[in-house]
Amino acid sequence: MVSIDELRKGVRQGLGFIKGAGDILGAEIVASSNANLLTRLNYTSHIPCNGVEEPKSTESYGVGVQAIFKTTDGIKTGFGSEPGDLSLNGIRKALDKARRNMVYDPAFRSLPHPSTEKPLLREYHDQRLMDIKDEELVTLGWRVLEGAIGVFNDTGVSEKIIIGGDLTLIQERIAVASTTGIDAYDESSLIMVSVTSMIEGENTKGSGWTTGICMDNFCPEDAGAESARNALATRGGQRIDDSEYNVILGSQPVTDLMNNIIIPSLNLSMIDAYSSAFLGRMRKKVAAENLTIFDSGALPGASGSKSITCEGLPTGRTDLIEKGMVVGFLTDHYYSLKILADEEAKRKLGVDPNDYKEAFAPRNGFRFETGGGRSYSRRVSISPTNVIVDTTDEFTTEDLLQKVGNGIYIGRIWYTYPMNGLGPGDFTSTIIGDSYLIKNGKLSTPIQPNTIRINDNINNLLMNITGITRDKRPTLIWAADEVVYAPEMAIKGVKLSNIAVQEG
Amino acid sequence: MADRITTDLMDDIKTRISNLVTEYTRGLKGCYYTDLRLEIDEGQGAVAENGDSRECYEDTNLSFGVRVIAGKGIRAPGYFGQVIGMSDTGRIEKIVREGIDHAYRRAYSNAAGKLRAKETMGRLGESLCDTTLAPIEVHQDKVSAVFDLDPREVPLKDIIEITKEISKEISSYDRDVRFNQVMASTMMIRELFLSSEGTDIDQSYALTQGLLYVVAQNEEGSQELYDYIGDQRGWEVITKGINAYEKTLRDFSLDLTGDALDLIKAELLKSTDKEVVIVTDPHYNALIAHEIIGHPMELDRGLKYETAYAGRSWLLSGLDNHHIGKQIASDLVTAYSDPSLPGYGHYKYDDEGTPARRVTHIDKGIFKEFMNSRQTAAILGVEPNGSFKATDASFVPLIRMSNTVFAAGDTDTSDIISEVDDGYYLKGHRTPSISESRENFRISAVKVYRIRNGELGQLFRNGGMTSDSKDYLMNVDAVGNDFKMYPIPNCGKGQPMQTKRLGNGAPTMRSRARLTGE
Repeated sequence: MVSIDELRKGVRQGLGFIKGAGDILGAEIVASSNANLLTRLNYTSHIPCNGVEEPKSTESYGVGVQAIFKTTDGIKTGFGSEPGDLSLNGIRKALDKARRNMVYDPAFRSLPHPSTEKPLLREYHDQRLMDIKDEELVTLGWRVLEGAIGVFNDTGVSEKIIIGGDLTLIQERIAVASTTGIDAYDESSLIMVSVTSMIEGENTKGSGWTTGICMDNFCPEDAGAESARNALATRGGQRIDDSEYNVILGSQPVTDLMNNIIIPSLNLSMIDAYSSAFLGRMRKKVAAENLTIFDSGALPGASGSKSITCEGLPTGRTDLIEKGMVVGFLTDHYYSLKILADEEAKRKLGVDPNDYKEAFAPRNGFRFETGGGRSYSRRVSISPTNVIVDTTDEFTTEDLLQKVGNGIYIGRIWYTYPMNGLGPGDFTSTIIGDSYLIKNGKLSTPIQPNTIRINDNINNLLMNITGITRDKRPTLIWAADEVVYAPEMAIKGVKLSNIAVQEG
Repeated sequence: MADRITTDLMDDIKTRISNLVTEYTRGLKGCYYTDLRLEIDEGQGAVAENGDSRECYEDTNLSFGVRVIAGKGIRAPGYFGQVIGMSDTGRIEKIVREGIDHAYRRAYSNAAGKLRAKETMGRLGESLCDTTLAPIEVHQDKVSAVFDLDPREVPLKDIIEITKEISKEISSYDRDVRFNQVMASTMMIRELFLSSEGTDIDQSYALTQGLLYVVAQNEEGSQELYDYIGDQRGWEVITKGINAYEKTLRDFSLDLTGDALDLIKAELLKSTDKEVVIVTDPHYNALIAHEIIGHPMELDRGLKYETAYAGRSWLLSGLDNHHIGKQIASDLVTAYSDPSLPGYGHYKYDDEGTPARRVTHIDKGIFKEFMNSRQTAAILGVEPNGSFKATDASFVPLIRMSNTVFAAGDTDTSDIISEVDDGYYLKGHRTPSISESRENFRISAVKVYRIRNGELGQLFRNGGMTSDSKDYLMNVDAVGNDFKMYPIPNCGKGQPMQTKRLGNGAPTMRSRARLTGE
């Protein structure tokens, strides 16, 4: 990893160099250094295995330049990057690429200007996480497995056990400087564990996970143990018939719906592309009144927090849905200006965006790599940070169970996709674990994993929310950028289908 | 010395680092095996939106990845990957050696952890075992790229211009076209694989791709469609229609735009509670081949590696409990993965130097063989078949489809439809959602037509079908002779997720399933 001081020096020196170039009207320079360290787990009691399957990492650092050029054909913009070189030579190469890559984009208005807001987070990374050694990475992986296997050993279960998942550590450093006056930097670290345990012969499955931003008090074995306990709890699972059911969605299914359907629909670039379940519905009710959703990038101690965006702007809170009504969108600087000048904006939003400028504050322009990291080589795009699913309700899980009475508790879903684009809101998903029948207000018989498909529409689900728990759990799903602080949610009349009737 | 990274740099880099894999690792205590993958890409592309250029790029990438198997008392793997730049090439020996050291320390420490766990976990420790790679024949080979128009010699301004002109034409096609995005890219990729066993494979290939995303909307409805053309060839894919569709990017884009406009006028399809007769075209079946043939035939899923992510396979519960040799489809169904076919999934050697070959998954309804890697082949006790591929050299390879297809049958497509009194014709795939072990699927179609008395009738939108996988395969009662292969550019698997390009193909087929829609 390259130090934050070296990154800052690189972008400042680069800015001085670029300011001297005659054809450049403005530029933004970003330098970053990232490492994604991961121990992937694969334990199988009935198949020869490694246990800790892949202790690995990917690393990169470099510099990127977004520049505005004055040409004989008018003003053009271009982006270029150079890996592994923060020197003036690296800046020069990145700038040369930006010059080769310039195009005229009529929607481009300006580079971001410094915000009047100040970053709320400083020095919030954990040095222990930034300095982790190869041997520690491997040990952390074994600790996850030991947590799960300890539970199975305690209960005497030893047949056809599967434990899969990973422990992931993300180390990120970024510095940004621009001709508009931005001079910002950020350093963050994140550790997370996601584990699935199964007793395959009994078709039971349980999940466990935990996230944190520092090593102190981080217990990876707890996630392993949780997954094993949840697998054991779902033994003896049953099927259900095709029907509409009153359900409670656990934290993971709420996160899955947020990640795949709801948050993409609240991304301003998707509104711009006429692809959103909330197209033309700003300031309109799209959900039950007890639902509020906001993105909060500067939440102290939260797993998805950053001090600045990858445009060098302070992160902060963006209200998205307030008491069931769409009130704002996630955006970067480019789209925040584009929408205000868009002749089609009223058709896209349902309102004139100039009446609600504060709803398009650019707090979510990031350059996230798949799997984590802030890339010098990517252009900015819109990404969530910490998505907070909030409510005015004061329910506990027990309250929701009582409220539902008889129905289904859905603890984990998978492969949730909008089937006909985001616009219509149709989606499907399968229930793959941690799920139960609810009888007389209590969790009852477990449901067999992989035997139920949800076939419904997100608009129906959001309007039919009958209760939300006060407590939330930070939850990550596979390949997601954001951490969702997800409560449990009761919804009436969800369409479920019985699948995989002819097993094997 | 060159000022920028080019694929030609590989020759110099190879001479400087090859001894690290053989001689240097020999000096590492308890190091049994090392391999190194190094990749150089030279690419360029452009994006236009609604008739204007949005962005373009001309860039290169150099990355490497290391695997080491080491340990004392028991063996375990460790890995390392890194993206590097031109300035790093002057000290590449040091960078690669440090990468090997990281992978070695991880492997050695992992082996110690495994030995400790084996001793303390009681009966549950018994399955922890030595990491073993099934043997392969050691090869030294060089494979050249195939192209007519060299991706490195296409002027970037031509790419910018072509995307802009197509986007402009689509914008003016009809007032109900609300948004369009046209992308085109072309690149040259060179991959080096070196192993401590002496394997030395240098493979190059060209890759060119075009994409259209279009949204049509009016008071009647809306449609969002996107699709790709592409092949492991040069710029001729875009400008000369040398691709599966046999269309230039312009013609392909205009046709897809026409589909979107047709569909906003169509009625919404209604779901059915019961199965109906369904005829599916090759494009739709390419995604069926991908989701319910290809993925469950990946042995890493069978051996549970993907339990927490991309899912397992219903075809294997344990080493003594699987469907190999059993009937899982109608005897009209044959399916295989074949890297020797042209298309997105073509290659000669996989990412551990195993010569690629056709893997027959289903032969006349009988399940025959998984795709595998050397490690998973050793566990199952079979020969490696060359299916281990990474998206980029810095990532750890996964078992991946190559060109995975349903084989052609001998029935005329027109007969497959004309024999149906009452049914539906699904044309073009859209979005899949598959259950965890691939035992059930729901896949939406671009277009759905009613079939009555052997003829296509009313067009519907936002429809598709759902079925249990084995039921669907067993119910296939007609397979056409109109086989086609399509590019699939975005298959996600692994952790961190790797998005991979591969090929899927099929002929027209007929089976039974429930319709999905409103």
